[in-house]
Amino acid sequence: MHPAALVVYSAAALRQGLFPLLIIVVMPLLGGEFEARELVRAAAFAGAGLVIAGVSGYVRWSTTRWWIDEAAVHHHTGLLRRSETKVPLERIEGLDVHQGPLQRAFGVFAVDVQTGAGKKGGEVALPALAPEAVEDLRAARLGAVPVAAVEETGRSRRLTGRELAITALTAGQLGVLVPVVAALGQVVGQVGESEQEDAVRFLPQSVTAAVLVVVGLLALAWLLSIAGSVIAFGGFTLVRDQERLRVRRGLISRNEATVPVGRVRAVRVVEGLLRRPFGLCALTVEVTGYADEASAARTLFPVLRVRDVRAFLDEFLPEFADELVVERPPRRALRRYVLVPALVALALTIGGWLLLGPWSVIALVVSLYGWARWRDAGWHVADGRLAVRSLLIARTTVLAPARLRESHTVSQNPFQRRAQLATLAVAFGKSTTARIRHLEATDARSALRDPQPVQ
Amino acid sequence: MRSLSPIARRVWRLSALVFWLLVLIAGVIVALAVDGAGPWPWIGPLVLGAAWVIVVPELRWRRWRWDLTEEGIDIQHGALTVSRTLIPWVRVQHVETQRGLFEQAFDLATVNVFNAAGSHTIPLLAQADAEELRERIAARAETDDEDA
Repeated sequence: MHPAALVVYSAAALRQGLFPLLIIVVMPLLGGEFEARELVRAAAFAGAGLVIAGVSGYVRWSTTRWWIDEAAVHHHTGLLRRSETKVPLERIEGLDVHQGPLQRAFGVFAVDVQTGAGKKGGEVALPALAPEAVEDLRAARLGAVPVAAVEETGRSRRLTGRELAITALTAGQLGVLVPVVAALGQVVGQVGESEQEDAVRFLPQSVTAAVLVVVGLLALAWLLSIAGSVIAFGGFTLVRDQERLRVRRGLISRNEATVPVGRVRAVRVVEGLLRRPFGLCALTVEVTGYADEASAARTLFPVLRVRDVRAFLDEFLPEFADELVVERPPRRALRRYVLVPALVALALTIGGWLLLGPWSVIALVVSLYGWARWRDAGWHVADGRLAVRSLLIARTTVLAPARLRESHTVSQNPFQRRAQLATLAVAFGKSTTARIRHLEATDARSALRDPQPVQ
Repeated sequence: MRSLSPIARRVWRLSALVFWLLVLIAGVIVALAVDGAGPWPWIGPLVLGAAWVIVVPELRWRRWRWDLTEEGIDIQHGALTVSRTLIPWVRVQHVETQRGLFEQAFDLATVNVFNAAGSHTIPLLAQADAEELRERIAARAETDDEDA
């Protein structure tokens, strides 16, 4: 393998030992006053750590071999515990090519060879390959098709700078909410505490401080989420060539993933809280054959106008293109959607009244959530294609041919049985289950009984 | 559709009994240890547990249905909320049979069916049924090897 692998392996070893090493190095420095002897000792430990990491990186590099022949990719590694992996070319489902800062410094690429049964990070992880070696791997996989020809036929779309800015500004709705909720909890806690104690003059001070903390946390979380999305989605490019989707992304660590279209099970149109008011959404796909759940739900495109979704899918993933038109559950389902949130709202109001006084009536707003969920819930089945829309925080529409489902379930609780309603859940993968509650029981049962074949 | 082994009722009843006995013991300890707790910490679990042990296993057994159809594996289960699930044959990745202590004692087996989204369980089948299920799935896996 490329000598740069030595550095990558060393860095990995260093990272593994980083935390204990950091404690050994930093703890004596924090312990007492600044002493030269302590400093020398810390430096010695740090140096020893570096040497050990370097040696282990060298050993790993020198004992790792990989090569391609007509039938398979071979990978041998390990000094004491040797492992030999052979991945037949036809079993390769995808090549994840990425470039972290280290790889970029040496002009090499890290490649994970993905198979259906792969473990996390792929069946074979090759941390440093020269660009020619990556092309060899690709060529071996594609067989006779020359790579250049494929590049030309592919349609591609790049995330523009403006789109990246929009993505970053509207991303991370949950990431923003979590610290805010935590901080609010603290405020309530502090108010409660200071009421119990006698310090009345302490109260406004702590509330002001708490509000400042909330605003600060909010701003910080937002900035972090902006920075995070810029780093993650910078240079996002989607390419469709023949039966493959290629996704390139990342500002600091450049990732490139190849997804066979045959492995895509469903497309999700996600309208986040901050995006929905602007008619924007993100597209993700559910892909099987990835052992890693996080990478199974991949971003197809980070930001898009909802009204452009159809055209976008027609161009890049016509297998899944469908209108975002849905029918709501029947009218008599409405009170079933509202009931539970209304009860929660009532409980919050009563509980809040005892603690905080009449202002807790605000909590009744929660019951609107049930109405919002009913209004946004919807489904559509035609020609064996299924569209299911639901609201949790983001509004998500799952588009998929019904025949690609992993399973489907129709369930009824005793109340639904009496009202002849039923809940339909269609699973497309580990992270995609299209669920719609309180449909007409007959519709729910017949919907997927005989999905018509799709060309 | 087929039902589970009739012995399943007994197995569920037995495991429910064990669970509620533990709750009952905990309730008795609470009633003795806490002053002024009254008899409710143990009467509650006693009444609820008795009702549960009598009603739920029977209801659950009556509702449990499964079959192997042309389309796939058809499962219906649930004591109160009744769910009916279909796993198409082409999506079945592998099957696992598993036998716990109770199942070994009664000569039963639990079958887990795995697909890419997760797993589905058909519990407490007679050994012969479990084996048929496994063979059927193996045979299916050979015929429709790859789907579109």
